[in-house]
Amino acid sequence: MERKELIRLEHVSKAFDGQTVLDDLNLVIHENEFVTLLGPSGCGKTTTLRIIGGFEKPDSGRVILDGRDITSLAPNKRPLNTVFQKYALFTHMDVAENIAFGLKIAGRDKAFIEDKIHYALKLVNLEGLEHRSVSSLSGGQQQRVAIARAIVNEPRILLLDEPLGALDLKLRQDMQYELIRLKNELGITFIYVTHDQEEALTMSDAIVVMNQGYIQQIGSPEDIYNEPENAFVADFIGDSNIIDGTMIRDRLVRILGQEFPCVDTGFGTEQPVDIVIRPEDVELTAAGEADGGLTGEVTDVIFKGVHYEMCVMAGGFEWLVHSTRMFGEGTRVRIGVDPFNIQIMNKPASEDEEAVSENDQIR
Amino acid sequence: MIRSDKVRALFAAPYLSWAVIFIVVPLLMVFWYGFTDGAGRLSLANIAIITRPEYLKSLGLSMALSLVSTLLCLLIAYPLCLILTEKKTGRAAVIVLLFILPMWMNTLLRTMAWQTILEKTGILNTILRFLHLPSIYIINKPQAIVIGMVYNFLPYMVLPLYNALAKIDDSVIHAAHDLGADRRQTFLRVVLPLSVPGIVSGVTMVFIPALTTFVISQMLGGNKILLIGNIIEQEFTQAYDWNLGSGLSIILMIFIILNMVIEAALDRAPEK
Amino acid sequence: MTKFLKRVYIFLIVFFMYAPIAVMVVQSFNRSKSRGHWGGFTTQWYLSMFGDRSIMAALRNTLSIAFLSSLIATVISVLACLAIVQMKRRTRRAVMGVTNIPMLNADIVTGISMMLLFLSFGLKFGYGSILIAHITFNIPYVILSIMPRLTALDKSYFEAALDLGASPVRAFFRVVLPELMPGVISGMLMAFTMSIDDFIITHFTKGAGVDTLSTKIYTEVRKGIKPEMYALSTLIFVVILILLLLLNGSRSKAGRKKAPGGRSILEIAPAAFLVAGLAVSACSLTACGSAGEEAGAEASESNVVYVYNWGEYIDPDVIELFEEETGIRVVYDEFETNEIMYPRVAAGASRYDLVCPSDYMIQKMIQNQLLQPLDWMLLPNASGYIGEKYMAQARSFDPGNRYSVPYCWGTVGILYNKTLVDPEDDMESWDILWNPRYKDDILMQDSVRDAFMVALIRNGADSNTTDPAELEAALSSLMEEKPLVQAYVIDEVRDKMIAGEAAIGVIYSGEALYTQEENPDLEYVIPREGTNLWIDGWVIPAGAEHVENAHRFLDFLCRPEIALMNFDYIYYSTPNEGAHALIEDEEVRNSPVLFPELSQYDNLQTFTYLGEAMDRYYNDLWIRLKSY
Repeated sequence: MERKELIRLEHVSKAFDGQTVLDDLNLVIHENEFVTLLGPSGCGKTTTLRIIGGFEKPDSGRVILDGRDITSLAPNKRPLNTVFQKYALFTHMDVAENIAFGLKIAGRDKAFIEDKIHYALKLVNLEGLEHRSVSSLSGGQQQRVAIARAIVNEPRILLLDEPLGALDLKLRQDMQYELIRLKNELGITFIYVTHDQEEALTMSDAIVVMNQGYIQQIGSPEDIYNEPENAFVADFIGDSNIIDGTMIRDRLVRILGQEFPCVDTGFGTEQPVDIVIRPEDVELTAAGEADGGLTGEVTDVIFKGVHYEMCVMAGGFEWLVHSTRMFGEGTRVRIGVDPFNIQIMNKPASEDEEAVSENDQIR
Repeated sequence: MIRSDKVRALFAAPYLSWAVIFIVVPLLMVFWYGFTDGAGRLSLANIAIITRPEYLKSLGLSMALSLVSTLLCLLIAYPLCLILTEKKTGRAAVIVLLFILPMWMNTLLRTMAWQTILEKTGILNTILRFLHLPSIYIINKPQAIVIGMVYNFLPYMVLPLYNALAKIDDSVIHAAHDLGADRRQTFLRVVLPLSVPGIVSGVTMVFIPALTTFVISQMLGGNKILLIGNIIEQEFTQAYDWNLGSGLSIILMIFIILNMVIEAALDRAPEK
Repeated sequence: MTKFLKRVYIFLIVFFMYAPIAVMVVQSFNRSKSRGHWGGFTTQWYLSMFGDRSIMAALRNTLSIAFLSSLIATVISVLACLAIVQMKRRTRRAVMGVTNIPMLNADIVTGISMMLLFLSFGLKFGYGSILIAHITFNIPYVILSIMPRLTALDKSYFEAALDLGASPVRAFFRVVLPELMPGVISGMLMAFTMSIDDFIITHFTKGAGVDTLSTKIYTEVRKGIKPEMYALSTLIFVVILILLLLLNGSRSKAGRKKAPGGRSILEIAPAAFLVAGLAVSACSLTACGSAGEEAGAEASESNVVYVYNWGEYIDPDVIELFEEETGIRVVYDEFETNEIMYPRVAAGASRYDLVCPSDYMIQKMIQNQLLQPLDWMLLPNASGYIGEKYMAQARSFDPGNRYSVPYCWGTVGILYNKTLVDPEDDMESWDILWNPRYKDDILMQDSVRDAFMVALIRNGADSNTTDPAELEAALSSLMEEKPLVQAYVIDEVRDKMIAGEAAIGVIYSGEALYTQEENPDLEYVIPREGTNLWIDGWVIPAGAEHVENAHRFLDFLCRPEIALMNFDYIYYSTPNEGAHALIEDEEVRNSPVLFPELSQYDNLQTFTYLGEAMDRYYNDLWIRLKSY
């Protein structure tokens, strides 16, 4: 598929009060893409969005839109619109006036504005609420108004800053589908900021995982989930068992004293590495007292509907296991993993990355 | 278990009796005196007297001076509060405090100090003479009273205005920018309308005391300028005519109520 | 650039707010008692203020009223809020509507409404009436700052405490009250501030011998503010400032993020209260003597005398001597004009025992049966030393000398500054007050009879005329004069003339010598058209409760050596011939200004009371002049 570059951040750095928030960030976003900036709070994702929106100026680096440097262009001059975290609706205007705001500023004629309001309200399923006061709307409705207000201006990019953060679970899930539908109907680029990995995996074409001002990984939801590039990403996306291991040689790894075949190569020999195994990839089989291999005892069982969530103490490590087969508390089990499901990662080298994984362990 | 609700209803008793005795009854007495003559007969004379030119003139002057002062307070305070809210941090709080602090110093003394500044041989003119500039002679003139009113009541404008402006979330302003509004448009279409409640309460808090003052006009007006407040005060403390004083107070209250109605309407309008 | 402009703007406004405060601070170090003049640096006022009984009493009253009224208002409000919050919507709205009244209403209306209430129910004005008034206007501030917190408080909060086994009372104190505390404290602090700053409502509800700083300053404004008052205000200001700086400093050190606005006030509150509490106790300690007496006042209520006199019209040492000699405490109040004095005495809410009105006012009070006859048996000094010619003169308004003893007498004349007037001009005629050359350089008396006397006599009419045509003519003359007048003043004329603020002033003869001593360029003349000859005399109101003490004080004042002491202090002509004979300075004793030979003049007129209708008429004329 031919992908056209839309916006590019080049060597962008930003510090607040001497605290570095973004450090030499480089990012390319393509046309008609749903990109999610994902990370824990304070990772710099919102700052990145605000730099794109023009609300913050980077200390260094450039923002290029369509080949044009817009780094110091005022927000009102940029062909993009934002849906703010707390909606930021104008409480002194009704729904229609809120939506018309950008169009009136742009000097569009009345009929056009009327049309657009009608169209936008239909798009966000709020027909008939034109003249309601925004403060009388529910959170979800306010969110839709905020979206409508942004999209009537036909922006090249829609920036969404944790737009669903204040909604309850059910509503959030509904809105996720709405947003995907909207994006497809409008055919524009969405840049979406969230700390909710599930949201990111559901909606995005591409996910940018960030932590402490650095991009940790960029990739499709599947890549990010299945092939995390480091322990931080692995832990942040979904549940994981992250274990210290040693790469004995290509395709053979030692985990908690036991050797496991794997598919990775090129890590050298006798190298300490991080091992990531997703809970659903751990295979449990009943084991006798004398059985060899990596065996342990089930310490905790919870029924989760689709599967059981079990904790297994084996090799001095507490494994998290998802399985449709239930083993009772105290049962001795053997742990097996398909070579394809063992994810091997280099130990972080730089101090910053070290900090990341330390931080991660605390979490 | 004791039903605490019933006990709690009793808690209002001290306040309610207090309010009736010391708020409602006194006001009724003002109305009683205002609508009777010295002999206790019903009469509208105390109200009708306002149509006499000398009373109309002082009421008009009070209105004019208090309106000008209110407007000046608004014009001075608005940019100030805008600047202060930009800062957002502790610095602004300190400056806001600077505006409350003078209120701990006696109003009368502070107003008196303006006499020392503005009078003929006062500080301002001494400085002007020293600089070989023409002296300014506004003491005992309406201008001096306006200065006194603005000086005394400016904090009452600053505080509600600052609170209203501080309440406007940054993201709302960003949203306006985001939607293409420049600074002027953002101010006119978003910030200004959102600060209306602050303007309204600021205007009330300045206008009413300015309309009814008798101290400022006495101290800075050289007793040459008679405001409606001065007449009422004199009727009570010098002329010993409570009926007339009460009648004029009722007229004052009509204006206060009128002012409140207008402002309540203004306050409701933007909410739809 | 814009940042620079913003700073300049803030600076200008802050400068505007603080310039007057700076002026006050400077004045507190000014050796000269006169407002406009710099007499050198001194810190003496900071010491002498602690010795000033009346200032300390006013400070004590101010702080204790602010403290008590905000405390009582808070207790009432907390209880009220707990009940209001669970009221039905409509009841709640009605109650809140009433609550808002004192806040939205003009202070002047609140003040007079309470004054009418107290008067109608015969309540005596005093500390109690001020306290009630302050509680009344304080309650809304506290309620309005508690209500939002209370409504925001989840009901389950209280119930959770009950559920955990706390009794309702315990639950309230342990759970609900701490949650409300920020609102309670900020409301209380607001009430405290409002109470301290209030003048208008106190003005209408205060009684005999009770002053707050505000009302004290108000009376001082007319006769010149005492430098001690500036010193005290500066001190209060500095204390508050230091307190704020300390709090701000400690908060910055703690490194907490400061929320803009409200929060900082909350944090000041406890400290402010602490300071107030300390100040109250400190005052009672420093002013120990008077404080002790004040406290014991209720017990020895019979051993006092309430005196109501003109401003600066007695030597404070005389009062002290009297108190020492007799053990009777003197509660002393001052008024500025006869017209201000009259309603206070007539309304009966302030029960004075001894008052010092002028001639025509004494006549009015006699006619309206506000006075009681004196017992001359108790006044041997008065009958012995007051000159017969003065007694004779007094009979014109007090037939038979039944009600009054002359205290001071004098004339009304023109005081002018030799350096500011043209020597060619004829200063010995009232006409000089109509000379356009002296526009904005003329000070007129702000007292209705005196002002009209000038115009009437100038126009050749009698100063006691009741002829509407003559009075209307006098009014037009005064209207014609008004643009030339710098200000209508009473006692301020003294300071302004000394400072050279005006060239010509209408003044009582008694002030002439004092002002000349302070500024030798001043000259006093009695216009040849004639003028008013006035006599102030002591009277005992009908409602006086300490008649015997009043007689004792009055007779004390008539002792020649005491009268002399008094004369040396106030410089007004004394009718006490015993005292006159004792005056050592021959120049003073024979001064034509102080003791003019009355027989020389055939055109000196003494005011007489003209009746109720004329009072009203004069009042209308006065309003017409002032609003002209």
